[in-house]
Amino acid sequence: MGNINFNDENMNQDDLSIEEHLILVKEKATSREEIIQKLGSTLFENGYVKDTYIQAVLDREIEYPTGLQARLTGVAIPHTDTEHVLKPAVAIATLNNPVIFNGMGMPDTKIKVEIIFMLAIHDPKLVVSTLRKVIFILEDDEALKNMDHAKTKSDIKGIMINHIRSLSEK
Amino acid sequence: MYKVRIVVVCGSGVAMAMHAAYKLREYLEKEKLYAHIDGCGNNELPGKINAYDIVVSNAQVTVKTDKPIFSAIPLITGVGEKELVEKIIVKVREIQEEKNND
Repeated sequence: MGNINFNDENMNQDDLSIEEHLILVKEKATSREEIIQKLGSTLFENGYVKDTYIQAVLDREIEYPTGLQARLTGVAIPHTDTEHVLKPAVAIATLNNPVIFNGMGMPDTKIKVEIIFMLAIHDPKLVVSTLRKVIFILEDDEALKNMDHAKTKSDIKGIMINHIRSLSEK
Repeated sequence: MYKVRIVVVCGSGVAMAMHAAYKLREYLEKEKLYAHIDGCGNNELPGKINAYDIVVSNAQVTVKTDKPIFSAIPLITGVGEKELVEKIIVKVREIQEEKNND
């Protein structure tokens, strides 16, 4: 696994960005479509994805839903094909009230989702190491709990980066 | 020794299949089982499935097959992972034995 540098000024451009401007805290949303729109807009406005990305994620969510029931809470990882992405990033939202996502691989199962990791991936091979660490947070009850309680964008970014670092040191 | 062939499937093959495949490989290697593991997108599966012994998928598998199919979800959430991996290990050993006796 490669080294990750999270100093903003010399971050590896090819690795997944985890930035405060891509984080929403205790966001109000009444549907999965609404939160996908909101997170997608942060990615679009900051130049990470093309204008086709949000619709592509919404469409894909119908065919391949991304709700996942982790031990601690419901999580969703909406994403779409690489052609809609310019620069790799993960946009993160915690929700004021859960919204329903359908279950990954189980479209008839409704999952109450409280944390969303929206993935923008342009080349899976370049980001796989960091991406895997992001996904491992689903198994980290402590990190998920901290994230759920976090009050600021910077808290959430800090939790993510500590989680990723703790895996890098192993 | 026959190398069991496993394909890990996700919606588009972008990310999740790769993650699940890495984890599965680690678990199998701990048991000294060396399988051939590939990832693929769900739409590629019909054309590829014949080349594999076991399918592990986080999408609904719609292609008709008599091959053993397991859910990849426990490998992503960690919930029920141990039980899933035990079942896959039994199946891998079974297939290995069958093929070696052929």
